[in-house]
Amino acid sequence: MLEIKNLHARIGDREILKGLTLTVKPGEVHAIMGPNGAGKSTLSYILAGKDDYEVTEGEVLLNGASILDLEPNERSVAGLFLAFQYPIEIPGVATMTFLKAALNSHRKAKGEGELTTPEFMKLVKGVAEKLNITSDMLKRPVNVGFSGGEKKRAEIMQMALLQPSICILDETDSGLDIDALKVVSEGVNALRSPDRAFVVITHYQRLLDHIVPDIVHVLSDGRIVRTGGPELALDLEKNGYAAYVANAAA
Amino acid sequence: MVATPVRTPAEQALAARYPAERTSLPGTADVIAIRDAAFGGVEKSGLPHRRVEDWKYTDLRARLKTFPPAAGSGDVARILIAAPAVEGDKARRLVIANGRYRPELSDLEDLEHGLSVFSLATALEAGDATAIAALKLDDAIAANTAVALNTAFMTDGLVIAVADGAEIGRPVELVHIAEGEPAASTAVRHLVTVGKGARLTLIETIESLDTVAHHSNIMTMIEVGEGAKVDHIRLQLEPDEAVSMTSLVAKIGREANFDTFNAALGAGLARAQIFAEFVGRDAQAGFRGITMLSGRRHADTTLSLIHGAENCQSRELYKAVIDGEARSAFAGRIAVPAHAQKTDARMMTASLLLSEEAEADAKPELEIFADDVQCGHGATCGAIDEDLLFYLLSRGIPKAEAESMLILAFLGEAIDEIQNQAVHDALIHRVEGWLKTRAA
Repeated sequence: MLEIKNLHARIGDREILKGLTLTVKPGEVHAIMGPNGAGKSTLSYILAGKDDYEVTEGEVLLNGASILDLEPNERSVAGLFLAFQYPIEIPGVATMTFLKAALNSHRKAKGEGELTTPEFMKLVKGVAEKLNITSDMLKRPVNVGFSGGEKKRAEIMQMALLQPSICILDETDSGLDIDALKVVSEGVNALRSPDRAFVVITHYQRLLDHIVPDIVHVLSDGRIVRTGGPELALDLEKNGYAAYVANAAA
Repeated sequence: MVATPVRTPAEQALAARYPAERTSLPGTADVIAIRDAAFGGVEKSGLPHRRVEDWKYTDLRARLKTFPPAAGSGDVARILIAAPAVEGDKARRLVIANGRYRPELSDLEDLEHGLSVFSLATALEAGDATAIAALKLDDAIAANTAVALNTAFMTDGLVIAVADGAEIGRPVELVHIAEGEPAASTAVRHLVTVGKGARLTLIETIESLDTVAHHSNIMTMIEVGEGAKVDHIRLQLEPDEAVSMTSLVAKIGREANFDTFNAALGAGLARAQIFAEFVGRDAQAGFRGITMLSGRRHADTTLSLIHGAENCQSRELYKAVIDGEARSAFAGRIAVPAHAQKTDARMMTASLLLSEEAEADAKPELEIFADDVQCGHGATCGAIDEDLLFYLLSRGIPKAEAESMLILAFLGEAIDEIQNQAVHDALIHRVEGWLKTRAA
């Protein structure tokens, strides 16, 4: 589903990814853990197509096709979704207008017609309810005045509406209290399916109690330095990243 | 020997036109004297250039290539079938075609009690003392070139009066239409007085049915009486070939409420001037507008507000979106004399540059002589925020559509202040049309 091969990327003169290789198969949940500055957020932005970064080597295939030359919106309609670590506030753009534009872009790309307003409202309300997103939140501009937890729930709502095949969650647990973490995790778990995969980027093991991964990777200094099962996350929680940081430095 | 500056073709045309037309323009000898004085000032100084501070960003001498002849009466059939600029506003449309009020094309049925509408030309011909007195302007306003040219050449306009306490439910819409070829020029003056406690929504639309270099010079004078509420909205919609100048003179009375909004959506060269003054205490006013520019268009908004009475509040918000090689200028000056304590004024202008060659100039000025006031001003200028754009793109929204959403959001802050829903919607429709053209 998602194949990242020997990916090298830089921002300005600083090389951040130094040969990252990762294969994610349909239905799998991969966790990527790692210390600050390892390149976790860079990886998520590069996958989504932010143009601050320059890919110098390697490739990224989504369902067998290279996505590195695609615009961010083309990647989205191809099935890639990034849940932002810091969802952006967009004053003046109504949440419903935004959701409708996003959904219709996806439908158009699939050759489907636009939803009627009642169909669209019904769809959004159904998804929003499960994530405790009130109609008051839906009336506000995109993410404006949302708490940290509300923003993360709104990200998962967008994910549920757009039905991506690969979901990248960039530190979705940051800024969440225990209750919000549960709601968000349930929202993610509800989307797990044999033909959808997740890459969950996180600092802490806590999120992985709720979204149980199949495979855990340690990202350090721009490379995957260790891969294991869920037990690896527990080990990291106990012993920290010191061993990997030291290795990388050496 | 005194060096005479070289006259530009536009200045030569002006110099040839005025003496030939002055006696055939409407008005008694008193009016001619006022016109002569106004024209004399322009002739003496010539058209203003960039070294004249008020015209620093809009060098009229360089930009005004010609000054076309006065407009003829126009083709009534074409004017009659012209689609209205604002649909569904139920407004009382008063048509001013080619510089002349056309009662036969206007909606004068069932005039509300307390509302009167007359032709300025008729009033001036009849020697109406009130109308003639209204032509005598404060020196600073009278000397302004666009105003002086209006005084010299105005052919007609409307004298609108709302009686004390009259609440005029239907908006009054002044529909300015230029019709015909070749290019012609028009000058129109409106005198609007709104009595104590009265209410009026005044809409102005300015259009041309032909894509030629029509010049329009429209001046609207509004007296907002004590405790009155006036909402003034102007949609300036001429084609790129046109030159458009508007001047709004507003005197805002005690405890009155005045809002004015200018949508600068048309003309290759547009200048919107506002001369406003609080003449009574405890009044409120909002000055807002949007400018949308592409190609090589140039639009200038120049606001001069005298916060001349105690405890008055004003809000100024002007937003510009500039694409191509277009240029937008905003100059806003707020003066607070020593006696105007408790003044509260906040002026903001923001420009969104959509191309490398687009330009925005902003010059906010505060002149404060009172010591117990709150006055602020801000100016921003920048491109579309990349982070916002990336977020929209990452949800599958194509770039052109995402940019349009962000531009509309940027302008929305100002547009959403328009109280009249029909005009608000008509303007949004125009803005969306502009964005579609840009995205295509």
